[in-house]
Amino acid sequence: MTPVLRLLARRLGISLIVLIGVSMLVFGIARVIPGDPARIALGPNASTEQIAKLRASLHLDESIFVQYGHFIKDLSRGDLGISLYTNRPVTTDIAQFLPATLELVLVAGVLMIAIGLPLGIWSARFRGRFADHIIRLVSLLGVSAPSFVWAVILMLLFAYYLPLFPIAGRITDTYTIESITGFLLIDTLIAGNFQAFLNAAWHIVLPAFALALSGIGQAARLTRANMIETWDKPYIEMAQAYGYAPARIANRFAFKPSMIPSLTIIGLDFAAMLGNAFLVEAVFAWPGLSRYGVAVILRKDLNAIIGTVLIISAAFLIVNLIIDLLIAFLNPRIRYSQRDVK
Amino acid sequence: MSANRPGSGEDTGSVKNGSMERNSSGALLDIRDLHLGFRGYTGYTKVLHGISLSINRGQRVALVGESGSGKSVTARIVLGLLQETRTARITGDVEFQGNDMSSLNASQRRALRGTRMSMIFQDPTSALNPVFTIGYQFTEVLRRVDEKLSKEAAYLRAAELLHTVSIPDPARVLDAYSFQLSGGMNQRIIIAMALANSPSLLIADEPGTALDVTVQAQTLQLMHDMVATHNTAVLFISHNLGVVREFADRVYVIYRGRIVEEGATQSVFESPGHAYTRALMAAVPRVTGGGIPDIDDESADFHDPCFTHDSPIAGTES
Repeated sequence: MTPVLRLLARRLGISLIVLIGVSMLVFGIARVIPGDPARIALGPNASTEQIAKLRASLHLDESIFVQYGHFIKDLSRGDLGISLYTNRPVTTDIAQFLPATLELVLVAGVLMIAIGLPLGIWSARFRGRFADHIIRLVSLLGVSAPSFVWAVILMLLFAYYLPLFPIAGRITDTYTIESITGFLLIDTLIAGNFQAFLNAAWHIVLPAFALALSGIGQAARLTRANMIETWDKPYIEMAQAYGYAPARIANRFAFKPSMIPSLTIIGLDFAAMLGNAFLVEAVFAWPGLSRYGVAVILRKDLNAIIGTVLIISAAFLIVNLIIDLLIAFLNPRIRYSQRDVK
Repeated sequence: MSANRPGSGEDTGSVKNGSMERNSSGALLDIRDLHLGFRGYTGYTKVLHGISLSINRGQRVALVGESGSGKSVTARIVLGLLQETRTARITGDVEFQGNDMSSLNASQRRALRGTRMSMIFQDPTSALNPVFTIGYQFTEVLRRVDEKLSKEAAYLRAAELLHTVSIPDPARVLDAYSFQLSGGMNQRIIIAMALANSPSLLIADEPGTALDVTVQAQTLQLMHDMVATHNTAVLFISHNLGVVREFADRVYVIYRGRIVEEGATQSVFESPGHAYTRALMAAVPRVTGGGIPDIDDESADFHDPCFTHDSPIAGTES
């Protein structure tokens, strides 16, 4: 087995354990918080018999261990139960709302990498000069406010005072796009409706930026710090002594080794966006998982809470897995971490 | 170990160097009255106080001095690296192949590096980038001269050059990373890289100091043979007088930013004129008295470290 495959297997195993742990934790917490889900679901006029019947059908009258057993049994069949809020299977709800959130987070992640890393490289390359000071100031600003604050600020500035972007939503209502992947940016292209694609892209700019800003700042600062550390390494002086162009030294010889320590943090930032997306979605009325998540938490919709949390955790773990593989790909010292080279 | 294979390295030899030689004095590198200082928070610090040094084609010149004497900064000025440091103030003439380095701009100076002059650093393993293969780094060096060189051709050429520095399995080495290879192997790679484009000047800044003595000696011998093959002049920077004596034709002794003595290696070593040179030579550790130190077999302090004390009571002598 190659080291990368072994790494993958180990990470998958760890991820599975984490997921089981998360499920236990959320399962326990959801049942410990006060309030009877059945009573909330049925409303104040429900009779005691009706409530007792619903409780029995949800296994709420049994011990928590038995309930967890039922949950795991259902989960193994891909069944997360029925949401008491929408009266639909939780999996159906998640399948409907998750793509919008994922789309937002992915676009924000791309922005974070596409803007944050070049800013960091520039900053390191021209350290101590004007460009560096500006970039450091901006990235510090980005890091120092949470994304929902940025959401409000960006919305006020660029949608309200300067109406350059739409104030809310994913796409203008006049477009009807058949949902294939659930990602509007992809579905519009599949439908061949370029106008709708531009409309969807136009809608996603502000929320994605609001979500990405702290990540951009973080990525820029990390890249700068790591690049400056790398700059003192003999191999950079060697590259200079061989007369490579400064841009090439920065973008290639210094950037690649510097990227490896930054990537883990960037991966964590990326995953953290999944959580931050909840608040940004709320500000921009983005029809994603957040509205659903908040609604089900307030209604103590047990199945839906657990389903949402599990999905978010799984996404978090997948992102981290990808980052680990990326690091292994970039860093030969991990790829060849064993003795038997060739 | 340092088998010299002149045949394989010569084809790119000193062909393109000849045309550049229009210096009347015949010197490849001519440094005259070089001053260097750094502006810092605490004021201006002078590092070099007027250094003059010249190297002829194919000549091996050593610059010897203690740490902080200004050896390495001189090398970095010749390479044109220090000129890009904003706090450095450099005056004086540095003429390379008849071109005044101070009249060149940064990119013109850069064009000389890696093509007509190159450098070998102290620690070969850390001088190679750990996240790129040897092959990638080597072919990049080859492309400094011939940008259109195809990947395959560059690899073949690199393998050929690695062969000239007695690397037995070049294909495997090209696919490896520096951390997978031994220090001696990396040093050979560095030497091959530095001479790959047949530069007319090689600057060796304490080469192999990080290696163990045997490997250092081997690689120095190899470097010695290789520069002879390529007819490359060397500015050899060292504090190791033993190595200098073996390697260099001519020696400059630098002390606190000034050249205090210069001359042919033989004459400097045989009759050092300056007190500092003599001090430097006296600092070389020597085995004197023919073997182990003179100590009585039964001297009182001889056995002291060998005793183990059974009882921990203070003052008890066994």
